[in-house]
Amino acid sequence: MTDDHAVLERLRAAGFSIDALSDEQLDVLTGLSAHELHVLEDVKRRLDDVEPEVRAHGDFAGGALF
Amino acid sequence: MKTVTAGLRAKLELLAPAMTAATTALWLPDDPELSRRYVAYLYEMHALIRASVPLMERAARRCARLAPSDPAAGPLGRYLERHIDEERGHDAWLLEDMAAAGGDPVYAARRLPSPIVADMAGAQYYWIEHHHPVALLGYIRVLEGNAPASWLADRLAVRTGLPGAAFRTVREHAALDSGHLADLDETLDALPPAPAHSTLLAVSALRTAAGLIGLFSQLATTQGGPE
Repeated sequence: MTDDHAVLERLRAAGFSIDALSDEQLDVLTGLSAHELHVLEDVKRRLDDVEPEVRAHGDFAGGALF
Repeated sequence: MKTVTAGLRAKLELLAPAMTAATTALWLPDDPELSRRYVAYLYEMHALIRASVPLMERAARRCARLAPSDPAAGPLGRYLERHIDEERGHDAWLLEDMAAAGGDPVYAARRLPSPIVADMAGAQYYWIEHHHPVALLGYIRVLEGNAPASWLADRLAVRTGLPGAAFRTVREHAALDSGHLADLDETLDALPPAPAHSTLLAVSALRTAAGLIGLFSQLATTQGGPE
């Protein structure tokens, strides 16, 4: 991506809460490739379609196994 | 200078709220279906985890073929060889947990897993074979980075009333995966810089995180036990 603001605007438009992120995190995100940005937008769209009924609270319980 | 893992963490952080919400829903404490859902979780995790060692073996073979002309292939292959030994047999643990929880290990071998499992593991087969095996580290980073919390096994045992033997894999992975993650991060940050690899890692990790969120959300809304 060449336009830093455009990347952040696209993330914001997709519904990601980026305003509370650190400068270091924002610096990483402004460098997102087109592929990465597309994956994030796609993921967010699909997650919004199946909005979890339960909101996050408490400690992170995890559960993934490899 | 930013490390590879710092960049990866910043990108994955965008999906962290959804991941936390999905695991919260999965382990909802006041749900009478929790023990059935735990068995369903074991079936899907077995379907996923039985691909772990085969994926690493395939990636290690690809690294061996790439090594003469690819500076990342050597250290990546050595990491995979180490990790294969650490992960071998964990699918058998899950079958034992399943039996202790009232599930059917024979059924586990023949049931059709969620298509999300095939999406998650299947993408790795593609990237390993047709692009670059470094993709697998993005997959491993997400699965080991969202391992069960240290308290989860005990809490589930109390809430489900299932025997302690039903929670070996959850318990062991809570203990093992923080060490595995440190080894993985060290490997990632020591790889020769390659922007194309960083992008592939991130795409693989983000797709894996999305799959995991989808799988946990699916498990949270369906009844457990054999279909």
